[in-house]
Amino acid sequence: MARIPAAYLVNRLITLVLTVLIASTLIWIIPRLSPVDPADIMLGRMSAAGGTVADSEAILATLQERFGLNDPLWAQYLLYLRNVLLFDFGLSTASFPTPVSVLIANALPWTIGLMLISVVITFIIGNVLGALMVWDHSPKLVRVAIPAAMVFTSIPPILSGLLLIWLFAATLQWFPIAGSYGLLVEPGWSWEFVGSVIHHGFLPALSIVVVTFGFWALGMRGLMITVQGEDYTKLAEAKGLRPRYILYRYMIRNAILPQITAFALKVGLLIAGQVLVERIFAYNGMGKLLYDAILNQDFPVIQGVSYVIILMTALSVFLVDLIYPFVDPRIRHGRA
Amino acid sequence: MKHSTALLVTTALVGVVAAGSASAQNRADTVIFDLDRTISDPENFNWFTAGTKREHGAHQAMWEPLFILNYTTGELEPWLGTAFEPNGDFSEWTLSIRDGVEWSDGEAFNADDVVFTVNMVLENEQLSEREAATLRAQVAAAEKVDDLTVRFTLNEPNPRFAVENFGVRIFGSFLIMPQHIWEGEDPATFAFYPPIGTGPYTFASSATNRAIWDRNDDWWGAQTGFMDLPEPERLVWLETGGEESRAQLIAANEIDAAQNVSVGTLEAILQRNPAVIAWHGDYPYAWPDPCARQLEINTTVAPWDDPNMRRAVAHIIDRNQIVNVAYEGTTVPSQTMFAQYGSMAPFIDAITEAGFALSPEGDVEAGQALIEAAGWVMGDDGIYERDGQDLTVAIHVNSASTEYTRTIDVLVEQFNRAGIAARSVPVENGVFWGEVLPFGAYEMSYSWLSCGSVNEPWTSMNRYTTDSVVPVGERSPGFNNTARWDDASAEAYTEIVHRMRDLAPDDPALPGLVAEAYQHLDAGVPFIPLVQAAKLLPFNTTYWTGWPTAENAYNSPAFWWNHTHQIIHSLERAQ
Amino acid sequence: MADQALQDTTKPDGPALTRAEIRRRRRYENPWFNPKLFWGAGILLGIVFVGLVGRVLWDPDLVFTGAGVLRLPPLGFENLRGQAGVLNHPLGTDGAGRDMLALLIIGAPNSLYVGVLASLIGMSLGIVLGFSAGFIGGRTDDVIRVLSDVMITIPPLLILVVFQAAFGDVNLTMMALLIAAFVWQSPTRLIRAQVLSMREAGYVQMARLSGASTGHIMFREMLPNLVPYLFGSFIANVTTAIVTAVGLEVLGLGPQRIPTLGRTIYEAINSGALIQNLWWWWGLPTALLALMFIGLLLINLGLDEVSNPRLRRL
Repeated sequence: MARIPAAYLVNRLITLVLTVLIASTLIWIIPRLSPVDPADIMLGRMSAAGGTVADSEAILATLQERFGLNDPLWAQYLLYLRNVLLFDFGLSTASFPTPVSVLIANALPWTIGLMLISVVITFIIGNVLGALMVWDHSPKLVRVAIPAAMVFTSIPPILSGLLLIWLFAATLQWFPIAGSYGLLVEPGWSWEFVGSVIHHGFLPALSIVVVTFGFWALGMRGLMITVQGEDYTKLAEAKGLRPRYILYRYMIRNAILPQITAFALKVGLLIAGQVLVERIFAYNGMGKLLYDAILNQDFPVIQGVSYVIILMTALSVFLVDLIYPFVDPRIRHGRA
Repeated sequence: MKHSTALLVTTALVGVVAAGSASAQNRADTVIFDLDRTISDPENFNWFTAGTKREHGAHQAMWEPLFILNYTTGELEPWLGTAFEPNGDFSEWTLSIRDGVEWSDGEAFNADDVVFTVNMVLENEQLSEREAATLRAQVAAAEKVDDLTVRFTLNEPNPRFAVENFGVRIFGSFLIMPQHIWEGEDPATFAFYPPIGTGPYTFASSATNRAIWDRNDDWWGAQTGFMDLPEPERLVWLETGGEESRAQLIAANEIDAAQNVSVGTLEAILQRNPAVIAWHGDYPYAWPDPCARQLEINTTVAPWDDPNMRRAVAHIIDRNQIVNVAYEGTTVPSQTMFAQYGSMAPFIDAITEAGFALSPEGDVEAGQALIEAAGWVMGDDGIYERDGQDLTVAIHVNSASTEYTRTIDVLVEQFNRAGIAARSVPVENGVFWGEVLPFGAYEMSYSWLSCGSVNEPWTSMNRYTTDSVVPVGERSPGFNNTARWDDASAEAYTEIVHRMRDLAPDDPALPGLVAEAYQHLDAGVPFIPLVQAAKLLPFNTTYWTGWPTAENAYNSPAFWWNHTHQIIHSLERAQ
Repeated sequence: MADQALQDTTKPDGPALTRAEIRRRRRYENPWFNPKLFWGAGILLGIVFVGLVGRVLWDPDLVFTGAGVLRLPPLGFENLRGQAGVLNHPLGTDGAGRDMLALLIIGAPNSLYVGVLASLIGMSLGIVLGFSAGFIGGRTDDVIRVLSDVMITIPPLLILVVFQAAFGDVNLTMMALLIAAFVWQSPTRLIRAQVLSMREAGYVQMARLSGASTGHIMFREMLPNLVPYLFGSFIANVTTAIVTAVGLEVLGLGPQRIPTLGRTIYEAINSGALIQNLWWWWGLPTALLALMFIGLLLINLGLDEVSNPRLRRL
C-alpha cells in the first residue's frame, strides 16, 4: 500500500479548511446583509422570553459578551469563527435557554445512524446487483429488471419517501408515519427500544436506498465489464474454478475498489437529500431540527445545523480523498 | 437460492413489523392524551411562569381548581371550594373551602394555602402567567377568616371575580399551591419538583415528550365521599407531533384523545376506526371554542386609519366562503363579536335587534363604493390607485396552523378580487404573539382578541376600550385593543362599557347597554368578526367511554383545560 | 447534420439493408439521433408544451384558493367522502379548492424555469472561469481550481436555507439566481480539464501559429468541440437546481403565492394529505417531478453516447 505523500495531504487539508471557512463565513454574512438583522430579533425574543427564565439577565449579559455584540464587526467575526470551532452557536431562541449545541448533539446520532445504515445497505445491494448484471450465471430476471430500476437513480429521495409513507405507513399501516422510536418506549438498550428504532427507521432508510442503489449498480456494472475482460478472470475460468468463486474472488474484489471513490462526489447531495427525508418522516434527526427551526425562525439553530451538516460533508469528502489513493494505485497523489 | 432469499426478506420484514407492535401491558387501564407541544423543561412545575407546566396533566390530574364553569348551563360548579359569596357592591368576596381536602403528602389543604398563594402572587411581579397577573391586578388583600374561609378585598368592584379567577372560564384558573412546600422559596425560580397536588393522580415521571400520572388510591375525595375514585389507573400525556401522527395513533388505538384535526383527517380516522367519536356524531363534528375569529385592523396606519376604509373591508368579506374553504363547513359565520353560546344569546339578540348583526355574505359593491368615496380609482390591473399608489394591505397571520393561513388565503383572494392588493405575511407563533400583535407591528392580522366572554358580555367588550391604547411600538396591556382604536367613537364606546362593568351578568339593563355600545363599535370597526372557532377533537371509545359530546355535554371537550378533572371522573371502562 | 446523415444512408453501399438496419445505422452515423436523447427531450418539451398550451386552454385563475370544491378526486375516482371527480376539475382539487390541473400547468414550467435559469447562469460563469483557468493558468488557475474544489463540497440547500430564512419571501428568479451561485463549479472543472488537454491539440496550435487572438481560439476553435460536454453538465445542473429548489419549497422556504410543484407538496404534507389518502394532491406533482428527472436523466445518458462513441452499440 502506498503512503500518502505530504503534498497531497496538505492540499486536501487546505481544501477542507477553506470549505469550512467559506461555509461558516457565508452563514455569518448572509443574515447581516438582510434588512432585519436576526441578531437583533434573537436578542429581542430572548429578553421577551427572559422574563420567565431564572437568571435570564445574567444569561443575556454573558451572551452579549460571548458574541461581542458591542464590538466592531471584524471582532465579532473573529469571535464567531472561534465559537464555531468550539461548536458554540449560542442559545436557541425557540427553546430558550437551551444551547444550540445540545439540540444538535441530541439530533446528530439519529442522522448519522440513519445515514450509515442506508449507505451500507445501498452499497451492498447496489454493488451486488451491479455485479450480477454482468455475471454470466445470473438469473435472466436480474439482468433485465435492474436496468429498468436504474431510472430511479434520477429521483431525489424525498419523492420516493412520499410514496413509501403513503403506501406502507398511511395505507397499509405496517410502519409508523412519524418519529424515530415509539412514543411509549423508554430509550435504552432494551429489545423493545432497538426493535422500535428499526421499525421507525426502516422506511426512511428504504426511501434513500431505492433511489441510490442504482448509482452503485451502474458504476459496478461498468467496472465489472472491464474486469471481466481482464486476463486473470479469463485464466481463472480456464482453470475451471467454480463461477461463484470467480465472481467473488476475482471479479468483485477487483471491481469494488474504485467504487468507493465515486462516493466523494455524492456525499453532499446525499446528506442534503436525507435532511429532507427526515423532515417528511418527522425523524428526530438534523432534518427535523432544521425544519422546526425554520418554522420557529430560530436562527441560531438554523445556522448551527447548516454548519454541522456542511462540516460533515466536508469531512466525508476529505476522508474519501484520503482513502482514494489506497484504493486505486493508478491515481498518483502528487497531482490532484 | 431465489427461494431462500425471498424467505429471508420476508422473515426480516415480519420481524421488523412485529417489533413495533409491542405495547405496554396495562394499556386498558391507561388513558393516553395527546399533547400538542414539547415540554421544554420537564422538571419544572412552577406554573406561575411561562412554559408547558400545566397542560401536560398537571392541572388536569394533579392540581384541582376551586370551581368549574359549566359551559352548558353557565353555572359555576363547586370543586375545592363550596361557595364564593360577594357583598352588595361586589367589592368583597368570601370563599368557603371544602372540608377534608388533603395534599397528596397528607397535609391538609386549607385557608392558609389560599392566603399564602395569593399573597405570594401579590408580592411578586415576576409571576407572569395570565391567571397570576389578573389576580394581582384585582385583589387588594386576602385574609383568613377561619380554616375553611378566606375573604378577598378587591381594588374595584367586580361582579365576575369568582369565575374570572377561580372558575376555569377559559383554559386555566388560579391554582392554589401548598404553603408547606413553597414557603421560604423564591417563587420566581422555585422549580417545585417533584410536584404535589390535591388531585386523584400523583406525578410519576416526565420527559420532554410525555408526562405520566398514577392514581392515588388514598385520594381525599374518595374517602370523604366527594367523588368516587376515577377508573383510569394511569394517565399519560404524550407529544404526538403533527396531525398525521396523531391520526395514525388514534386510529390504531394507541391514544385515547387527540388534539385538533381537520375534518378530512377525522373522516380518514373514522373510516379506519369506527370507535372514534367527536363532539357531534356527524357533520359539522366540531365543538365551537369560545374564541371567535376576527380580522384585527391597526387603526393608526394609513389608509386604514379611516373608519370608512375599514368598513369597506368589512363589506367585502364573504364569511360563507371562509366557512366553506378554510373550515370545510365545521363552523358558522359570526353574527357579532361574541361566541354563539346559549348563555350569550340575550346579548347577541340585542345587537341583532339594533341592526348591527353581520351578514354571512359579502357586499363587494358597497365596499367598493366606500373605497371610491375615499378618492381611490380602479386601475387597469384591477387594483385601486390614489396619487399613483396602489391600495395594498399586508395581513399578518400566525403560521402555526393551516386553519389560520387558509383563512387569510381566502381573504387575500377576496380582497384582490375587490381591488385591494392584499398579501399574507405568515409569521411564527412566538413572533406573532410576541412582536406583531402587542406592539402593533401590522396593518391587519388574523386573531381572536375579543375572546373572553362566555356567559356575560363585559369581558370581551372591555378589551377594546381606550384604557388599553398605547402608541405603536409599546406593548398593549394583555393584548387588549391592539388595534389602538381611540377616536371619538371609541371614547363613546368606552364610556358605556365602563358603565357595564359593575353590573352582574344577569342584570336586566345589560343587553340594552351592549346594543348601545355596539353602535360605536360598528362605526369604528377596530376589528371585523369573521367566523366562530371550531375545535375537532377525536376521542377513542375502544378502551374508555363517557367522553363529553353534544348529547352528553357535561362540559367542554377541551382536555388541555383545568376542568378535565370532570372528564376523567366521567370516564368508564368500555365493555 | 441531419441531412448529411440521410445522404449517408442513401449511398448504395449495401442493397440488403433493411429499414431497421438503416435506422440503426443512421443512429450510429449521427450520435444526436439516439432514442434516449429523443425521449428525454420529448418528455421535457412535452411538459413545457402542456404548460404553454394549458395556459390558453385552461383557466389559470383556478390555481387560487377557493376556486372549486375542496378535496375532489380526479375524474373516475372517489374520495373518502364518496364524492366523485368532476369534469370541471379533471385532476381533482387540493385541500383549499385549488384546481390540480391548473396547479400543474402553472407549477411545472415554474420548476423547470428555476432549473434552466440557474443552470444557464451557472454555465456562463463556468465557461468564463473554466477557460480563464485553463488558458491563463498560473495564479488565476490556482484560485479558480481551489475555489471550485471547495464550493463543490458545500450542499447548496443548506446555505440557501440560511439565506431564505433571513430574507423571507423570494420570487422564482431570485431563487434561480441564488442556486446559480452553487452550480458553476462542475462546468468550471470540466472546461478547465478539457482546455488543458486541448491546448496542445493540433488545431489549436495551428490557430495559434496563424496568429489568432486568445478570444478567437477560445470561443471559435475550442468551444464548439466542448458542446456535448457542456450540454451534459448543463443538464446535470438543471437537475441539481430543481432538486435544490424543490428541497427549499418542501421546507416551506419557496415563493409563497406562486404555484410550484414543491410548494404544492409542502402544503399537501402539512395538511395531512397522506393520511387522508388525497393521493392526487401530493402524488401528481411528485409524479410530474419524477417524470422531469427521468427526462433529464435520459438526455444525460443520450449525451454520454454523443460524447463517448464507445457507449454506442450497433
